Amino acid sequence: MTSRAHIAEVFMRGLYPVLIIASFWMLLRGHNAPGGGFIAGLMAVAASSAYALIFNSSKASKKMPLLPARLSVSGVLVALASGLPAVFQGLPYLSHPWWTLSLGGFKLSLSTVMLFDLGVYLAVWGAIGGICLHLIETIEENL
Amino acid sequence: MGRLSNNCKEARAPLANVFISCVPSLLFLGLILSLYHVPLPWTFVLPWVPSLNVDLDVYIDGLSAQFLLLITGIGSLVFFYARGYLAGHPKAKRLFILLVLFLFAMIGAVVSDNLLVLFVFWELTSVLSFLLVGFNHEDVGSRKSAQQAILVTGVGGLFLLAGFILLGEIAGTYSIQAFLHSPSVLINDSRLGVVLVLIFVGAFTKSAQFPFHFWLPNAMAAPTPVSAYLHSATMVKLGIYLLARLDTAFSDIIFWEYALVGTGTLTAVFAAVQTVYERDLKRILAWSTIATLGTLVMLVGLPGHGAALATVALFFAHALYKAPLFFVAGNLDHGAGTREIDKLTGMRHYMPWTATAALVAALSMAGLPLTFGFVAKDAISFAKAQAEVLHLVSYATVFVNVVSVAVAAIAAIHIFWGHDTIPRKSHPHEAPASMIIPPLMLVLCGIVFGLAPTLIDPLLGAAAKAMSPEFDATTVNMAYDLAPVIEVTLGTIALGLLVYLRWDWLHERLSRITFLEKVGPEGWYLAIMDTLPVIAARLTRIVQHGILPRYLMTMLVTVAVLLLVLLTAADPPWLWPPSTNLGVPVASASLLIIVGGLAACFVRDHLVLLLVGGLVGFGSAVLFMFTGAPDLALTQFFVETVFVVVVATVLVKLRRLKIRDRQVPLEPLIRPLDLFVAMAFSLIVVVLTLLVSALPFDAQLTDFYATRSLAEAHGRNVVNLILVDFRALDTLGEISVLFFSLIAVLPLLKRIGDKRP
Repeated sequence: MTSRAHIAEVFMRGLYPVLIIASFWMLLRGHNAPGGGFIAGLMAVAASSAYALIFNSSKASKKMPLLPARLSVSGVLVALASGLPAVFQGLPYLSHPWWTLSLGGFKLSLSTVMLFDLGVYLAVWGAIGGICLHLIETIEENL
Repeated sequence: MGRLSNNCKEARAPLANVFISCVPSLLFLGLILSLYHVPLPWTFVLPWVPSLNVDLDVYIDGLSAQFLLLITGIGSLVFFYARGYLAGHPKAKRLFILLVLFLFAMIGAVVSDNLLVLFVFWELTSVLSFLLVGFNHEDVGSRKSAQQAILVTGVGGLFLLAGFILLGEIAGTYSIQAFLHSPSVLINDSRLGVVLVLIFVGAFTKSAQFPFHFWLPNAMAAPTPVSAYLHSATMVKLGIYLLARLDTAFSDIIFWEYALVGTGTLTAVFAAVQTVYERDLKRILAWSTIATLGTLVMLVGLPGHGAALATVALFFAHALYKAPLFFVAGNLDHGAGTREIDKLTGMRHYMPWTATAALVAALSMAGLPLTFGFVAKDAISFAKAQAEVLHLVSYATVFVNVVSVAVAAIAAIHIFWGHDTIPRKSHPHEAPASMIIPPLMLVLCGIVFGLAPTLIDPLLGAAAKAMSPEFDATTVNMAYDLAPVIEVTLGTIALGLLVYLRWDWLHERLSRITFLEKVGPEGWYLAIMDTLPVIAARLTRIVQHGILPRYLMTMLVTVAVLLLVLLTAADPPWLWPPSTNLGVPVASASLLIIVGGLAACFVRDHLVLLLVGGLVGFGSAVLFMFTGAPDLALTQFFVETVFVVVVATVLVKLRRLKIRDRQVPLEPLIRPLDLFVAMAFSLIVVVLTLLVSALPFDAQLTDFYATRSLAEAHGRNVVNLILVDFRALDTLGEISVLFFSLIAVLPLLKRIGDKRP
């Protein structure tokens, strides 16, 4: 039993996707400006925690792409896998090769470094988010 | 529905098991074919850790080939047997997977030419032995035996590693062949004694030599196929393999000879005596295996090429008769439901095929003519005659042989002949074909090689040549001089039968002497195992008192003392930093931190304490922002926000639970000792900070990243590039730690959740 805060719920429902998109933007801009996987992951954790506080922890964990522990381990796996293309090119593990895609006049540079940063993002979101949500869950159960 | 799905599972599992159980047979066939076509030795090199000079050097000579044949050959039969033994067992697949892993670990150990690689595989076999002994892990006895096996062999493994490293350092190479060819560096080194003792401890623990023998009979808690494979035919012989492998280099050293002959003989005699204590067929077989292992160690220690030949012949003979006897014990367990020799007699009426296998295996074990056991025994007498051993050793060997004849008689005559007069609930029955064929095939091999030893001569010759290079492999011609050994054999058999007839009487007499159990090595082991938890508990109570302020105090005092020692030792130039204009933002951030810190000292309410703590955190974030670390500032902001909000929620809800009602009476606001430690610590940190800022800034690292980040990592945010590119491996480690911390925290939180008020 919890008293529901309707205004906060409506507000949160709109804010959550904005926060997640913002965290993703933070992830992508991290290469050249302040940001990156760790910070973006923490931002997503903030979003999830806020969602859990206003709704509840199980709803918040359903809003995450996977269950927290799985999200975290998949992040670690993505980061692990991002080092492999370099090995196939004969470079040391985790050195990040770059490719340039030209999409008609617009040039897009891609690298496995983005995958690695995505892995960091997911691992942080899953692990710290998981700890926060479980802490909140413990409190919910005890009320 | 549940039944249906179960059936499906059972129908599917054996297919995988059939597939797995073909692995050793295929390897065995491949090995036989290659042995015919490619002359030994085979060598090849796979680079593994070039930076440590550790390569997967494979060197296969006669000795390795003999082991490979035993590992894959006995392995094929063990896998075949296990399919019948564990038919319908829910964990059968697990056993097969462990056995295959063990097979490869064993192969790795006997083909490796690098000491460190050998060690890795050696330890792998110990770990797999632990898992296999503890296969029935619901049983306390199994768990204890598994623990004992891995502790004894694992500690021995550490000694072995130390010995290998010392050996490698002295010899300048970790390649076995390299230093076997030029052992003079080693032999003239004063540290040789230490090396030998370390290697002895390793080999003796693995091969169950006195005083480390006690784990092997207890390891009989494993399923029978495992006992037959690991604890009789292959793994326990690894220690002897190592000694045989090194024999070429050290055989001239008196210490080597005396230590091996002494330990081997002592082990053999001790195990022979212990055999009489047992009533369980499997444990009887285990003790007689230890006796054989002792004899093998003794033979490795004996000088002369006769001993080399005797060693390899006994290896073979033992595998050919002891494995079938273990299979027989498994069949009895399966068909009659017991392995106690008191409850088993006249079994041949129910289990004719098992009885046949037992009888032939027993003949070979007793060393009767026309079996391969006789060939081995012949080779041993020849070796002893050639080496001129002490009379004491000769008598000991005869004694051990007498007991092994008696054991053979127990296994063959006592259990299978006579009339079944024992009342039992269910009728004993014969084991399925998959459990009869393996022992029969092995005893058949024993007879074939016993009748025509020439079939196996080339292999034994090659193996003996690996142990003693001057041995002429073409002169092997075994077991045709019956005359000198026939009287000895007959005498041994007569005495053995006498022991067999008086077995119960001996057992009763010996059982009264129990002091060995209390003062023997197993007693020491148990005493250590009993004392360790007590010491650990005491230590934990001192170190892990569970009082948070005291933990904090310990940490602060330790760090403060360390810093103080380092500072006085380094004696840096005690300079005042150049004055700089801090600017308004930095000054106000510092003010925020100071206010937060001071407030924290005087606030009692937990929630307010959290908020003023947050003040310090946000102050630091602002400070970072204006001193050129925007990434750090951002991170700090998010961490601080999430922390304060989540913990505040928890605190608010805890307060609602009225947990504060049972709060201890308020403590005094200022405690002198705490105040002193806090002041001292901050003073040291302030001094350190001032000193560091006084030193000129070393821009080497900054320049490195500044010049390379855009050129090599294609980015401008240096902090992020260090995280994801320059030091990506560290980051990988960090996110793994994050994940594991989640895994560690989950059960803790779950426990709090379970304690509902």
